[in-house]
Amino acid sequence: MIQASFEKRLPLFTLRVEFEVDAVTAILWGESGAGKTSILDCIAGIISPDRGHIALNGTTVYSSELAIDLPPRERHVGYVFQDYALFPHLNAEENVALALPSTERGRALEFLERFGIAHLRKRRPPVLSGGERQRLALARALATRPRVLLLDEPFSALDKATKEATYHEFLSLRDELGMSVILVTHSRLEAETLGNSIIELSDGATVPMVDYHAIATMRQGVPPCMPVN
Amino acid sequence: MMSGSLQPVVFSIGVATMATLVTLAVGLALARLLTYRRIYFQGFWETLILLPMVFPPTITGYLLLLLLGRRGPVGALLAGVGVQIVFTRMAAVIAAVFVSLPLMYQNCKAALVSVDTRFIDAARTLGLGEGRIFRRVTIPMATPGILSGVALSFARALGEFGATLMIAGNIPGRTQTIPLALYSAVESNRNAEANVYLAITVGLSFMVIGLVGLGERRAKALRGKDRVVGPKGGRSLLFNMGGEAP
Repeated sequence: MIQASFEKRLPLFTLRVEFEVDAVTAILWGESGAGKTSILDCIAGIISPDRGHIALNGTTVYSSELAIDLPPRERHVGYVFQDYALFPHLNAEENVALALPSTERGRALEFLERFGIAHLRKRRPPVLSGGERQRLALARALATRPRVLLLDEPFSALDKATKEATYHEFLSLRDELGMSVILVTHSRLEAETLGNSIIELSDGATVPMVDYHAIATMRQGVPPCMPVN
Repeated sequence: MMSGSLQPVVFSIGVATMATLVTLAVGLALARLLTYRRIYFQGFWETLILLPMVFPPTITGYLLLLLLGRRGPVGALLAGVGVQIVFTRMAAVIAAVFVSLPLMYQNCKAALVSVDTRFIDAARTLGLGEGRIFRRVTIPMATPGILSGVALSFARALGEFGATLMIAGNIPGRTQTIPLALYSAVESNRNAEANVYLAITVGLSFMVIGLVGLGERRAKALRGKDRVVGPKGGRSLLFNMGGEAP
């Protein structure tokens, strides 16, 4: 579970965030530059909010009141960055092994096998395809056994055919993991296919989270807070 | 060529190699400190590191002489325990370190700044400590820039003349480096010997630049097509002048 209630001053506006995500996939939706990545960065501990409270599975990782601000390595957040941020000088296996404690480095291959890319273990990210890189990024993020998973537009670099296959894989993975996932996307199809609920970011503030599927059904498939194309 | 003439070549290579190793360790540590930490009077400390680059080398040599000479604050302390620096081989290394440190520092700093912070953020979320991130992520990704620093520092140390003359002297068979030996040879009309030093220096320079170029190309190939954004200062000084961004 992710509980977030905080404010963060950004160069152009102040971000006001208020939401709670249970063991579901919440879609974080908003225009470019609305502050979606900043919200993920605050949860992961890469940047600090100005005030507020963030708890992951009941553990407070940030609280301005209690003067708590855990560094990223103590938050146990799996984070798949928008461009994956895979280390280009390390091969696939080393990318995953770096995330594992020294006694468990040998288990890197297991994670690659889980994502069907064990045969690519000696290849480095620059020579992998978009889909392979995305799987490697997921494998690396999950190797840390995170409490929650943050995905910043993980499917944006994939072609249409790869995307559809990856959606199915993601859904089965989500059911298997049973952890809270926040997925940032611009794609309506992605939101409809993968999300259970939606956090809309509008004018620098999150609007109260809604049960996306219930309302979408009521409105005959037109999801709330989303533009109708 | 006289049999003794190889001594300055061997000595110069030794001095330049030692000086480069010292400046690599010190320059990288200083660059890390002044890039990632907030230090009081940062501009002052950076200026102090860079001063030997703008000073005439004889001025740097004279300052070192004041500092390390028998009556200097450091020299007196060392004399107390029986160590003399001035006019020794160690002095030639110290002179080379001081004049080449600014080049190493600037290249290392530009190389560190050129590493996209997103990779460092990613490493932090994976649970890595800062020291491990520096060793396993930052340094490998900054290698091309650091190698440029190594090449430039080695070349600068190899060519050092003024500061070396001031603090190590020009003692044949003891503290005479290639530039000093060449100067002495020309001064006493031993042109054939001077030409040999010239040829050796050109050969050595080609070798160093070629080796570093090889290293840079290999490091860049490893870095591949991945997005690594950063200021232009992160480019190699040797091979990317005006070229495309890495």
